[in-house]
Amino acid sequence: MLKFWRSSTARFITLVFGIELILAAGMTLTLRTLTRAELTRDAQNYAGRLTGELAPLYLRQGPEDFRKLAALRVLFSEGRATVILLADAKGKPIAGNLQGWPAGLNAGWSEIELYRNGSATPEQMGVLVTRLPDGTRLLTGQIIENDRRLSRIVDRATGTALIFGLPLALFAAFAAVRIINARVNDISETARAVSAGQLSQRVWLDGSGDTFDRLAATLNAMLERIEALISELRIVTDGLAHDLRSPLTRLKARLERAQVEDDEASLRNAITLAGEETDRLLGMLTTALQISRAEAGIGRDHFVAADLGEMIADIAELYEPLVEDRGFTMEVACPSGPIVPMHRELIGQAVGNLIDNALKYGAQSLRIATGTDAGLAWIEVSDRGAGIPEDQRAEALRRFGRLDPSRTGFGAGLGLSLVGAVARLHGGTIELGDAAPGLKVRLSIPLGQPPTSPRA
Amino acid sequence: MTQKILLVEDDTTTADFIVKGLSEQGFAVDHANNGRDGLFHATDGTYDAIVLDRMLPGMDGMAVLGAIRAAGITTPVIILSALGAVEDRVAGLTAGSDDYLTKPFAFAELHARLKLLMRRATAGPASAVETVLTCHDLEMDLLSRKVKRGGRTLDLQPREFRLLEYLMRHKEQVVTRTMLLEGVWDYHFDPGTNVIDVHVSRLRKKIDGESDPPLIHTVRGAGYRLGASE
Repeated sequence: MLKFWRSSTARFITLVFGIELILAAGMTLTLRTLTRAELTRDAQNYAGRLTGELAPLYLRQGPEDFRKLAALRVLFSEGRATVILLADAKGKPIAGNLQGWPAGLNAGWSEIELYRNGSATPEQMGVLVTRLPDGTRLLTGQIIENDRRLSRIVDRATGTALIFGLPLALFAAFAAVRIINARVNDISETARAVSAGQLSQRVWLDGSGDTFDRLAATLNAMLERIEALISELRIVTDGLAHDLRSPLTRLKARLERAQVEDDEASLRNAITLAGEETDRLLGMLTTALQISRAEAGIGRDHFVAADLGEMIADIAELYEPLVEDRGFTMEVACPSGPIVPMHRELIGQAVGNLIDNALKYGAQSLRIATGTDAGLAWIEVSDRGAGIPEDQRAEALRRFGRLDPSRTGFGAGLGLSLVGAVARLHGGTIELGDAAPGLKVRLSIPLGQPPTSPRA
Repeated sequence: MTQKILLVEDDTTTADFIVKGLSEQGFAVDHANNGRDGLFHATDGTYDAIVLDRMLPGMDGMAVLGAIRAAGITTPVIILSALGAVEDRVAGLTAGSDDYLTKPFAFAELHARLKLLMRRATAGPASAVETVLTCHDLEMDLLSRKVKRGGRTLDLQPREFRLLEYLMRHKEQVVTRTMLLEGVWDYHFDPGTNVIDVHVSRLRKKIDGESDPPLIHTVRGAGYRLGASE
């Protein structure tokens, strides 16, 4: 129970309820005060008017005329119960409809209980007392008993309204809390499901675009990114485990065989081969490390603006002798420009990997080109091999890794994964196309500033 | 005179391997297995080169390097590190190291780079004004950009020229494939071992194809050496 009162639900209900209570009480009090004040002012004005009329009359024309007019005013009293009393300096009544001058009544406005002529019960009245120049005292005013009753009725009515309002306020508070709780619960359910491994769970959107919807959309975008990262990572680690197994197996086999060898030549040969396998393994680990770093956005602060055309021509030149040695011809269409912010080493490595790939699976010739298109700078490596059928391109692109289990290039999957990771690091994309015949891989990166936040 | 090298490395196996290798090459090696001892030795200032591991117990290699440089010691330093990304390399070089070698490395690579650093340190800046490089009967004019072997002009591509220039500036030294990639192409990634080999073999055809003795030698397990001697 204590825990419930500490919860934000309880606090929210209390807050809503409290605010509504204060509001209702305030309204009642204001209404009451205003009514009272208005009634009093009205009574005071009336008494003032009466005094203003009667006092000069008495002073000019004497008590007789006063008595007549007073009687007239009591009779025709604008719907009020008018009281008038004129008394001499000693308090003896001269004219009016009150039974006697009340003791201890001072000049000015007061509200007291007095007896009217012929009445056995005292009545609450508001009276204005004025001392006239000849020593007589004039009292004018009205019964305010009815006003009091009205104000009591207002009090009771608002009080009743308040009592009925309380459960309503409570209900409103609960309803508000329930609505908020439902949305928050939805989000927390999703988060729990994701924590439990259901990475594809998303928060429900009601499409209203309100704060909760925006929060949910932001969370969904984050979950999307996390899921993509994890599946990429899984592909890389799966690929790595797969790719590491064969060289490790060969290495182990060679070392085992070397243990039983006698002649120095085959021992030396075994050591050389083991060294080569180790190099290959190290190379793959380096690539895997590069991928994970690129995916994490590490290296963005090492982007430098460089001439893409010249840089890729440079890379092409580095690979040219190798390409020719493999019996390929290479066409390079890399005009100077544009200047693009990039990670030079990683772009170089990525293009190198694409060239390697083209040499492995292409035939006769390959083509390297650069250019710009709609705010993007692109690098294209095409081969004249079998290409990838259109219906398999999406799958190839999704993994941008090992396409066919029979492709047995060492770490070829990793090499292409790195190309994908490098593209993403630059906020760019990879597209696969038809070089008719052959495969065309296009790496596009934005011409402008790369995204600054690693997790954007 | 025997050249002295300080090795600061906490991994015993790696340290033994380096100490043994360098001793065999005729260097005198002192070994410190933590940063504090390393810094203490380094401040003697009597070493020709320092090989410094980046991750050390007690005092980080980068901190040791900072302290060495702050003490005004200009001894060439090679950093050894398992962190091989360009960012780490840049950090190491800005902190005042002269070279950066990623673990694991071949001993030949470390040896070649150490030799290069020590030669550079003793040669001073005078070598920068050379305009003609020679090796045996091979002659390279850096101004007219002409290369001759035994009086016969060789026709080299711009990149072959730069490759040969690098080899000639480091003649009689072993240069590794990564040193060539860094020195000639300014790349630090691994393009596959073949790439550089193909470039060198083309250059070799032009230099040594019709002349004797061969000047470009392949050093098994390490890289290449330019020189008249076998």
